[in-house]
Amino acid sequence: MKPKVAFFDFAGCEGDELQIANLEEELLSLLGHVEVVSFREVMKEHSNDYDIAFIEGSCTRLADEDRLKEIRKNAKIVVAIGACATIGGINSLKNYKDPDEVGRIVYGDKAKLFDTYAARPIDAVIPVDVYVHGCPINKEEFLHVVKSLLMGKKPDIPNYPVCVECKKNENVCAFERGEFCVGTVTRAGCNSCCVNEGTICWGCRGLVDNPNENSHKEVLLKYGLTVDETINKFRLYFAWQGRGK
Amino acid sequence: MSKPEVNISLHHVTRVEGHGNIYVNLKDGTIKKCEWNISEAPRFFEAMVVGRQWNELHHITSRICGICSIGHVLASLKATEAAMNIPISEQDLILRKLALHGENIQSHVLHIGYLVLPDLMGVGSVIPLASTHPEEVKTVIRLHRLANDMSNMVCGRTTHPQRLIPGGFAKLPTQKELVDLKKRLKDSIPDLQTAANLFKTLSSGFPDFQRETEFIALTDPNEYALYDGELGSTDSKSVPASEYLSFTNEYIVPQSTAKRAKHLRDSYMVGALARLNINYDKLSPLAKEVAEMFDLKPVCHNPFMNSIAQLVEVVHSVEDSIRLISELEAEGLKPQPDYFRPEIKPKSGRGVGAVEVPRGILFHDYTYNDSGACTKANCVIPTNQNHGNIELDMKALLPQVMDKPKKEIELTLEMLVRAYDPCISCSTHYLNVHFE
Amino acid sequence: MKIIAKQDLAGFVNSLIKDGAWEVVGVKSKGDKYAFGPLDSADELRLDYDITLLPPKKYFFPQRETLFSFDVAKGVFTETSTAKPKIIIGVAPYDLVALLHMDEVFKEAKSDPYYAEKRNSSIIIGINIQRMTKWNFSAVMGCATIDHGYDLMLTDLGAKYAVEIGSSKGEQLLAKYAKNVRDAYANEVQMVGRKKHEIMNMGQQKLDFSPDLIPELLNQNYSNSQFWEKHSEKCLACGSCVLVCPTCYCFDVRDNPDLTLERGERVRTWDGCLLEDFAKVASGENFRPTKPARYRHRYFKKGKYLFDRFGFISCVGCGRCGSNCLPDIASPVKLFNDMYQETLKSGIEITPSTPPEVSITTEDRIDFVPKLATITRKVPMTANETLLEIQFNDGSELNHAPGQFAEVSVFGVGEAPVSISSSPTKKGSFEMCVRKIGGVTTKLATLNKGDIIGVRGPFGKGFDVDLLKGKDLLFIAGGLGIAPLRSLFNYVLDRRSEFGKVTILYGCKEPCELLFSEEVDSWSKRSDIVHKLTVDRCPAGECWEGNIGLITTLIPGVDLEPEKTYAILCGPPTMYKFVIKELKQKNIPDDHIIMSLERRMKCGVGKCGHCQINHIYVCKEGPVFNYANIKGVPEAL
Repeated sequence: MKPKVAFFDFAGCEGDELQIANLEEELLSLLGHVEVVSFREVMKEHSNDYDIAFIEGSCTRLADEDRLKEIRKNAKIVVAIGACATIGGINSLKNYKDPDEVGRIVYGDKAKLFDTYAARPIDAVIPVDVYVHGCPINKEEFLHVVKSLLMGKKPDIPNYPVCVECKKNENVCAFERGEFCVGTVTRAGCNSCCVNEGTICWGCRGLVDNPNENSHKEVLLKYGLTVDETINKFRLYFAWQGRGK
Repeated sequence: MSKPEVNISLHHVTRVEGHGNIYVNLKDGTIKKCEWNISEAPRFFEAMVVGRQWNELHHITSRICGICSIGHVLASLKATEAAMNIPISEQDLILRKLALHGENIQSHVLHIGYLVLPDLMGVGSVIPLASTHPEEVKTVIRLHRLANDMSNMVCGRTTHPQRLIPGGFAKLPTQKELVDLKKRLKDSIPDLQTAANLFKTLSSGFPDFQRETEFIALTDPNEYALYDGELGSTDSKSVPASEYLSFTNEYIVPQSTAKRAKHLRDSYMVGALARLNINYDKLSPLAKEVAEMFDLKPVCHNPFMNSIAQLVEVVHSVEDSIRLISELEAEGLKPQPDYFRPEIKPKSGRGVGAVEVPRGILFHDYTYNDSGACTKANCVIPTNQNHGNIELDMKALLPQVMDKPKKEIELTLEMLVRAYDPCISCSTHYLNVHFE
Repeated sequence: MKIIAKQDLAGFVNSLIKDGAWEVVGVKSKGDKYAFGPLDSADELRLDYDITLLPPKKYFFPQRETLFSFDVAKGVFTETSTAKPKIIIGVAPYDLVALLHMDEVFKEAKSDPYYAEKRNSSIIIGINIQRMTKWNFSAVMGCATIDHGYDLMLTDLGAKYAVEIGSSKGEQLLAKYAKNVRDAYANEVQMVGRKKHEIMNMGQQKLDFSPDLIPELLNQNYSNSQFWEKHSEKCLACGSCVLVCPTCYCFDVRDNPDLTLERGERVRTWDGCLLEDFAKVASGENFRPTKPARYRHRYFKKGKYLFDRFGFISCVGCGRCGSNCLPDIASPVKLFNDMYQETLKSGIEITPSTPPEVSITTEDRIDFVPKLATITRKVPMTANETLLEIQFNDGSELNHAPGQFAEVSVFGVGEAPVSISSSPTKKGSFEMCVRKIGGVTTKLATLNKGDIIGVRGPFGKGFDVDLLKGKDLLFIAGGLGIAPLRSLFNYVLDRRSEFGKVTILYGCKEPCELLFSEEVDSWSKRSDIVHKLTVDRCPAGECWEGNIGLITTLIPGVDLEPEKTYAILCGPPTMYKFVIKELKQKNIPDDHIIMSLERRMKCGVGKCGHCQINHIYVCKEGPVFNYANIKGVPEAL
């Protein structure tokens, strides 16, 4: 019996769902193992009878919470895909803005449209079983997660920093090049793709389980970042996980 | 005999990016209500970038859209580069044009192959087509994969491309990679022909609907403008892209979380059809052939033909990419050191970057202070510019289909929305409006 | 010694590249740094480098390597490599020493074929050091120059290179592909000697003492927790220090199924003991959970455990760890100097260590490739534990000793160590008791009779049955500990007359967790054994007439003669301390206490590093240990 899967999107850029479409021919093989019963972006049909729910995007308003709770009720397994869903993502940058300031620039008399609150990952609202991190997700990791779920085993998501992958890929460390990287506290699994492409790690996969943030902050300061700049760096993706306060 | 009341409430239209609703109420043969209404949660990008540094903005604004990231990043970089007078090399310019072609191919193929084709084949999604029409689906997939490989090679990644940085590229493809890509592009032409033939057999599925409207797109005297150009219109003369506000005039409607735009009429259209209408004679030879197959020429006022215009643009982008790579080959690709960073001194200023992304013209407008932090940002998204046109088209189309069964009316209205290839998440990237 | 002009060396390298028979790699620049990479032309070579990002070990022990591919329907396949042999140009002496260390490691006991094949087919052209980073202390470690281990060794003499021949392979290569090579003049030979002498004085880092004090210095400081806490406080657990190290070789093994879910490959990748979850097992327990413990382990492995095992200090002083550590805590020089000064102040004397007598015996090759086996019987014993009876498809016997374990593969899911529960006296098949904990064991529990799995082994040191003959035996099994003990217990029952009094104490948390219940019942029918059962607690509604209390409560009541009695223990980690206390109360000598310990055993052959308890590889020197031997080992209990 093929498990039934459904895809949902909240506040996000749909980039993670695109990575799934980017599986190209592998997507066809994948479709041989699952039955897609709901995926608004690509199909008309919809059903509430699904085993695995994939959710992209953050929860940014109260109305979204009901939708999320309903998904949790229907699904046996909930998988959060993409940084917006797993850690709040770029959406949570706005949480640092003064809410009054945001309110001031928003529709005054149509308050119902501004049912908006601090952007948050979906596990702030419902329990999540599996996380596929990244902005966007790494489609290989997505495949690994799906294969693991199909084989009934827990997916193997790293709990070590991106440095591990950078070193294996023989990159020149960002700090040695005069740049500032948060890969030292960010969860690996992306194969250090951004550093491979000549830039730095921005932290889109979220923090490892037990980051040594004090040490990392000291490193950033030692290499020349100011305290404010350091805080700003942490706010980009780690905003919800409580850092940068 | 009085006609029954028809209430249509299409909540979260399927096979479009983002969440939009269609509400229609027909009573006694008159349209009581016809609304295209965006319910997507706003995401506040223009507020989020305020206070962030010039070398971070493109990383943040890339996240406005996962499908046209490359376009957002390029518009963002152009705005920053314009604000701070940062030049880019000729080679980088060509590579950026290649990047945009890659995005155009990827997005258009995804749209017409996965989102529009099911309607023409009478099914709910591309999934059953994988079993009933495997060769056609594989053709679509091959073209999609080629476009992604192209984007990966030039930009690092299709979604949130890392290599695109202010002043150029963090890493270059190798000449060998470009030459291999050129061969693959050439080899894809039979697949393009298959796709064109397929859509030709299905094109009667598009309603023959016209409503005169204004079309707006970038325009350039020397090429089919995607990366650079002036702001052109079918109704007026062009203006420099930096004067975009005079064209876009954004405003709000109460039922929508997304802004709308208008220029010389109540609304206008952007996108592939707009570009084709304005720049038709700059299309590549094969692209023109495909356009002729469908009798598509300026000025076409049938929004359903936007999907065909996208098909034509896929062919153009493939052919033009071959030309651009040949140019690079002729000069020889100049390498740059590993981890290259252009020397940039941030300074205060304001700049506008305008770029044609698959769904239409995109503007990023940034103001920076002396320390290189952004003090103000404005982004005008293609889909925002189309929302007004969609609703007016719906109002004009309804009388033609009012007498049909409800399911058929719904399908036609959905097809209309899909034809625009809206990217709704993008269009609710902000909120920045003042009330009088 | 030969001499070749620089342009002729370039010609030599270009001819090698052009020949096409090899993949020619060498040191190239990468950003402001250097790295070994494929050469398209000799122009790319940067023999004047100071250090490469990764050592050349990556060519013999790659970051990622396929061990074999599997097809559940068809079997397991190792691939013959179609890769061209390599010529590696620009290897510095410290990296050569490291390769020689790795050779010993990968040869020991069971030879690693993947490493050996690449090592044997490669040609190494070394270069004497021209520049050092400020972190490099290879001269201090005696690794800055070397007179063997290369096929050719170059020394830069300005417009020319001196070439020392290290092997006939090197000699032939030079003769065939290089032009204008002549013998060196006497003064050129002297020049090379002087350069090597200069190199010995290069390097800004100096140890305050002689390196042969390192093992004993570490030994004296094992329990100096303050020291380790202070030095590891800033550790980011990023693994950089170990991943760039030329002498590190820990690895992880994973299965990677393809989208058919029935075919795939098993892959090994670099791993590092500094990473947080390195010593974590499927049940969630982490045997080295703190930063100080992990940080200390690395230094001990390099400076003491490998020294004790192989006779060399496994640090060549390349300085990569120090230069890559962002919080600056990985430099061995700084650490050892601090430790030395602190130890001096406390008045403890440190004696130099002499390398032990080492004879490396290489038995057979490691088999990473499992044999296909079929489940012939399945008995769900409790909610979480299943008994599986297994037969090899080729009809062979496992031939294990009681107490050994095997690595069981569910292809596509992975491999897990499971102890063998049946006695070797049972022929034709063997038994395993599987508890559902991680991915593999959970999947195993869902398989059925007729399903195919992979089995590698037997591994480890089992119970020494000869030692136990004629003695009184006291078995103490806690919970799942009964599973490995049963292999010995049933062996003893099968050869009852060879042993003295036999007592078994078996305790579980609750009655519903009792394993092998039918067998346990059959014990009551035997007059030649004494058995006592206990449960920690009996929930309402469950039927239990036996003792209620921890297993330690059963020990005082056992009637035994300490001099004749051997206690054999297996149970959860927390059990051992308390049981041993009770046994000591009954005057059982230390060397009469035998135990089976659990760790994260992956490769099963003492290579991947995951099961290490201090210097001991549980998979090789254990899992059965004599208490007398490990009571001094800090991480053991």
